[in-house]
Amino acid sequence: MKKTSFIEAITQALYEEMERDERVFMIGQDIGVYGGVFKATKGLLDRFGAERVIDAPISEVYIAGGSVGAALVGCRPVAEIQFADFITPSMDQIIQQMAKMRYRTGGQWSCPMTIRVCCGGDVGGGLYHSQINEQWFFSQPGLIVLLPSTAYDAKGLLKSAIRGEDPVIFFEHKRLYRWIKEELPDEDFTVPIGKAAIRKEGEDITLVAYGLMAHRSMEAAAGLEKEGISAEVIDMRTILPWDRETIFESVKKTSKVVLVQEGTKTGGVMAEVGAAIAEELFDYLDAPVSRVCGLDVPAIPFAPPMEHFFLPNAEKITNVVKKVLEY
Amino acid sequence: MPATKKAAKPGLKQVGLPEETLRGLYYNLLKTRTLDERFRKLFRQGRFAGTYFSAVGQEATTVGPTYGLRDDDILASSHREIGAAVTKGIPLVNIVAQVYARANSPDKGKTHPCHYSWRDKGVFTPASTLAGQTVVGTGCAMGFKLQKKDNVVVAFFGEGATARGGWHEAVNYAGIHKLPIVYICQNNLWAESVPAHMQAGIENFSDRAKAYGFPGITIDGNDIVLVHKTAAEAIKRARAGEGPTLIECKTYRYYGHSEIDPADYRREEEIEEWKKKDTVTRAERMMMDLGLLTDQQREAMIEDINHEIDEAVNICEKEKYVEPEEAYNDVYSKYFPVRRDEY
Repeated sequence: MKKTSFIEAITQALYEEMERDERVFMIGQDIGVYGGVFKATKGLLDRFGAERVIDAPISEVYIAGGSVGAALVGCRPVAEIQFADFITPSMDQIIQQMAKMRYRTGGQWSCPMTIRVCCGGDVGGGLYHSQINEQWFFSQPGLIVLLPSTAYDAKGLLKSAIRGEDPVIFFEHKRLYRWIKEELPDEDFTVPIGKAAIRKEGEDITLVAYGLMAHRSMEAAAGLEKEGISAEVIDMRTILPWDRETIFESVKKTSKVVLVQEGTKTGGVMAEVGAAIAEELFDYLDAPVSRVCGLDVPAIPFAPPMEHFFLPNAEKITNVVKKVLEY
Repeated sequence: MPATKKAAKPGLKQVGLPEETLRGLYYNLLKTRTLDERFRKLFRQGRFAGTYFSAVGQEATTVGPTYGLRDDDILASSHREIGAAVTKGIPLVNIVAQVYARANSPDKGKTHPCHYSWRDKGVFTPASTLAGQTVVGTGCAMGFKLQKKDNVVVAFFGEGATARGGWHEAVNYAGIHKLPIVYICQNNLWAESVPAHMQAGIENFSDRAKAYGFPGITIDGNDIVLVHKTAAEAIKRARAGEGPTLIECKTYRYYGHSEIDPADYRREEEIEEWKKKDTVTRAERMMMDLGLLTDQQREAMIEDINHEIDEAVNICEKEKYVEPEEAYNDVYSKYFPVRRDEY
């Protein structure tokens, strides 16, 4: 059976959802004739036409806010922000309009829409093409924030996002686009929003991660396994609202946890996950909650050695796991 | 030929609008003015929280473009569009409830006194980041066009909001795609405390339309007939697929940015000058000249409106606030319950 890459899974999800529901349309920069910078929308213009695959001007405010408006009157917009680094202009529309529309109208209106955002480092993209900033949105209830790590999840979660009733920010890690490949079912499937995945069962320690870091955690777990250490690896998949139950159950079982994320440590997603574990599972813990994160610097630096110095990897994760186990 | 000839009073033909429309416009002007002044009074009496953004003086700019819209047309308004809320037909009791933040308010007390919304009438709520609703409103117009519907959007904002980048992005997109939207710029000369000439280096804000490839026109925003006719023509064009129009209405707000602003950045003479051009007084004079209104009828109308407001205020003041736990609702659709903390 043919293996589908992460990015092909995205394209398939978009294609199938546009076939399934004529309310779905796409808007973003260079998504039409060009097929997207990474070719995620390749071929969609030919199939669905320029009215449903709209090449937007360089207008992140409008791409986000215009999609909110279209969602209000019955469309199902799927907007693309070309790089996560460029999402800052649309923050006003995302935070003030999209995330709050249901709340501030007392449930009269909602924004059933998706914004796809290409993110992440380990690609040599430099300061403005490598940021991963899901944590900017993590503190905004009303939004759903997704960040898949497998082709199956990418396709299934994107379909759930498009079919859902809530506004979704869907992060796609560009390092995974062509690296990750797997066999996907022929039939239609979705992946539920709000449920983490246990990627590897283990007894001695829990690793919690998502995106590229789910793979780095798996690499670390494989190495630890050879040394007789059994790590459980949880892939959050949904960042907001995050799956407390699955993570808490695992921590109760292993009593030790290391949290891994690519973004800066301060104010990150794992700061909240860690605080929640410390707050609610103190009696279960045998060691301090520990984290492996990107550095607390303004952005991911460009020069390759410095970029790798910034990023968490299997070695760093392994070191921290051993420290926790020795506690 | 008589020795003294009075200037001929304009007839309906000269005004160019049907009697029914003139009556409707005047009624909504009067209702908006009366309700707005009442809200100011109620706020000063401490009857509701927050603050209140009065639109007294500039009613024609919101009533004129809104009158005659369909229920399924969208209003993308800002915080000073009580006239649009009244004219679009949000029930008066719900407008009052919004201001009072009571259980019968459209948003269940979650947002701001002046953020009127009512889905059945196509009014979504503004955000206080000005021009934000212009972006969303333009998106609504995009949605209508994509669905091949003949609905239109009327988007309101002040001259100050046109300085925002998002405003530019929205109207630029509308120009590219000839969206069914009419932009109403209410130039009341002051963006909070900053004068219009400090917001842009142009005299007429409608000049901005040229850069986006659609018509822009500046009009006397205190002339209800002119505002309605200009907007109706633009709405007709938009509905026919001929694209957007930017209409700048020169007008004036009599009071501060909100009720907590004494507005001492303005000269008294400026206010007095504009009061001479008062939109409601002018509309009344015209209606009387046309023989469509007498003093008695006017008094009776005001009495009826006040009675309706009294009833709405009584209902709302007796209405409870929602339970505080309502704060947990309307975050997500039913599939994603919000975590409830106990402290």
